[in-house]
Amino acid sequence: MSAVTGVPSQSVGAGHGRGGAHVSGVRKARGFTLGRRQHLAAWLFLMPAILYVLFAFALPIIYNIMLSFEQTSPATIADITAPFAGLANYRFILDDPTSRTAIIHTFEFTFGSLVGQFIIGFSLALLFTLRFPGRTLGRSLIIVPWLLPLIVTGLIFRFLFQLEGGAVNQLLIDVGLVHQPIDWLDNPHLALVTVLIANIWLGVPFFTLLLYSALQDVPVQVKEAALIDGAGAWQRLRLVIVPIILPVIEVTLLLGFVFTVKVFDLVIALTGGGPANTTQLITTWSYNLSFQQFSFGEGAALNNVLLVLAMICAPLYLYMSRGSLRSSSGAEK
Amino acid sequence: MTRLQRSRTLRWLCTLATVVALVIVLFPVYAVIVGSFESTETLFSGTYYWLPHAATLDNYRTVIQAQSGNVLTSLIVGVGTAVLALVVAVPAAYALAKYRLRVTVVIVSALLVAQIVPSIVLATSLFVIFHWIHLVNTYPGLIIADGTYAIPFSILVLRAFFFSLPNDLTQAARVDGASEWQTFQRIVIPLARSALITVAVFAFLNGWGDFIFALTILNGATIVPVTLGIYTYLGNYSTQWGAVMAAGAFAMVPAAVMLVVAQRYIASGLTAGSVVG
Repeated sequence: MSAVTGVPSQSVGAGHGRGGAHVSGVRKARGFTLGRRQHLAAWLFLMPAILYVLFAFALPIIYNIMLSFEQTSPATIADITAPFAGLANYRFILDDPTSRTAIIHTFEFTFGSLVGQFIIGFSLALLFTLRFPGRTLGRSLIIVPWLLPLIVTGLIFRFLFQLEGGAVNQLLIDVGLVHQPIDWLDNPHLALVTVLIANIWLGVPFFTLLLYSALQDVPVQVKEAALIDGAGAWQRLRLVIVPIILPVIEVTLLLGFVFTVKVFDLVIALTGGGPANTTQLITTWSYNLSFQQFSFGEGAALNNVLLVLAMICAPLYLYMSRGSLRSSSGAEK
Repeated sequence: MTRLQRSRTLRWLCTLATVVALVIVLFPVYAVIVGSFESTETLFSGTYYWLPHAATLDNYRTVIQAQSGNVLTSLIVGVGTAVLALVVAVPAAYALAKYRLRVTVVIVSALLVAQIVPSIVLATSLFVIFHWIHLVNTYPGLIIADGTYAIPFSILVLRAFFFSLPNDLTQAARVDGASEWQTFQRIVIPLARSALITVAVFAFLNGWGDFIFALTILNGATIVPVTLGIYTYLGNYSTQWGAVMAAGAFAMVPAAVMLVVAQRYIASGLTAGSVVG
C-alpha cells in the first residue's frame, strides 16, 4: 500500500534531476533528491518536536540520573543541584525494606496482570470471532472502561470493594459464596490481589481489541484447511492460529508490560499503597519518597530502577516496530 | 441432540458469555451513575443497592458548587494539551513521512522509546526543573507535562497517516510553485483532517484525565483539575462517596461525548494509524 507512494517522487528526482533553477542545489541522498530548501523546510517542521522531546523527555531523564546521585533535602529543592552523594541513594533503596518490597510487588503485579489480561482478553477475542447474536454490541461496548479517568476508576473500585456496603461483598454474600464480608482493601494479604483485579479489568479491553483484530487477519482458507485435515478446536488454536498471530501477541504483551509497570493512579485511588505498604509499587513508593518525604534523591534512584525495568523492553519494542523505522514511505522499493 | 440443536445451544452460550463479560465491564460505569443519584444515607447504609434507591440531586448540587471551576480548569488543560500536540506533532509527522532524512530513524526510535518512559520518572524531575524555572503550579507547566502522554503517539499515528497520502499531490503543488510551507498548509492539512481530529481528541482526553502530573506539578490550590478535585473527596477516615460519584459522572462526559460525536473520525484516524504495519 505505502510502497506505491514513494515511486512518483523518485522518478521525478531521477528523470528531471537537472531541470530548472529550483533544483540547482539538489543533493542525491539514497536515491532520492532533496533540494536545499526542502531540506531546510523538513528541519523546520521537525524543530518543535525535537525541542519538545529534548525538554520533556531527554532533560528529565538526564536530570533524574543526576538527582539520584545528589544529597537532596527539602532545603535544596529551590536549587537545581545539591551536594554529590555518591551511591548513598542507591544504597538506601537496597536497604529500605519498603523499596525492596515495592520492587517485588511491581514484579508480582505486572506478571499477574499480564497473565490475567491475556487469558481473559484472548478468550473474549476468540469469542467475538464466532457468529452469535450480540457479538457486535459486545465488541463495541468493551472499550467503555476507557471512558473513565483512571483516578475515577480507582475510586469506584474502592467503593465496590468496600468491606461494608460494597457491591462485591454484597454479591458474594447474596449468592452464598461467603458468609462474612471479605476485607478486600485493608487485609494486607489481600489488598494487592484487589488492585490486581482492578488492573486486569482495566487492561482486558486493550488485549481483546488488539488480539481480535489479529484474529480477523487470519486467512479463512488456513482455518478451513486445518478443519479439513481433521484438527480439533484446540489443535487449530494451538498449531494454526497462535503461530500466525504470534507477532501481535508479542507486541500486545510487550505494551501490556510497559503500561503495567507504570500504573500509578489506580493504586493511589484504590489503596494509596496501604495497608502497611503491601500495595506499594515502585511508582507509588517513588512518589511517596519524593513528594511526601521530600527525598528527591532517593525517589530518583528508585525511578531509575523503574526506568531500567521499563527500558528492558526498548530494544525489543524497536525491533518489533522496525517496519515503521523506514526512513520514508516506499523506501525499500 | 442434532447438529443444528447443538450449534444453536452453542450460540446462546456465546451470547450468555458476552452478556456476563459486558455486565462486568460496564458495572463500574453503571455504579458511578446510579451512585451519583444516591443520598449520603444510602451510600453509607452498609447495604449495596443494585438499583437506584432514593434518587436525589444533592450530590450534583454539591459537586456543581465545588467543582465548576475545576471543570473549567480541566477543559483548559485538555484543550491546551490538544493544541500543543497538534502544533508539535503535525509538522513533525509530515517531515518524518515525506522527507527522506538521515535522522528519521533516530527520531522515530526516540519517539518509540519515549512512549515507554514512566510518567513518575518525568514527574519527579519536571517538578524540580519547573520549580527552578517557575513553571510549577502553572497551566503551561502542566500542559507541557501532559503532552508527554500524547505527543510521541500523535507523531507516530500521523506519520502513518501521511504515508498514505500520495506524493503526487504535494509534488503537483511544488511544480505549481508553492513553497514547502504552503504545500503543507493548503494541501496536506486539509487532507489530514480526520487524523488531526483523532489526535486532538486523544490528546484532549489525556489532558482531561491526567492525575499524576496534576498531583505533582500543581502543588498549590489555585489550579485544580477535576481529577485532583475528586481525589480530595477521599478522606483518611471517610470518603464523600456521593460527591465522588457525581464528580466521576462529570469526568466521564467528555470521553463519552467525543466517542459519540467524533467516532467516525476516530475510526478512520485509527485505521490510518494501523497501517504502520
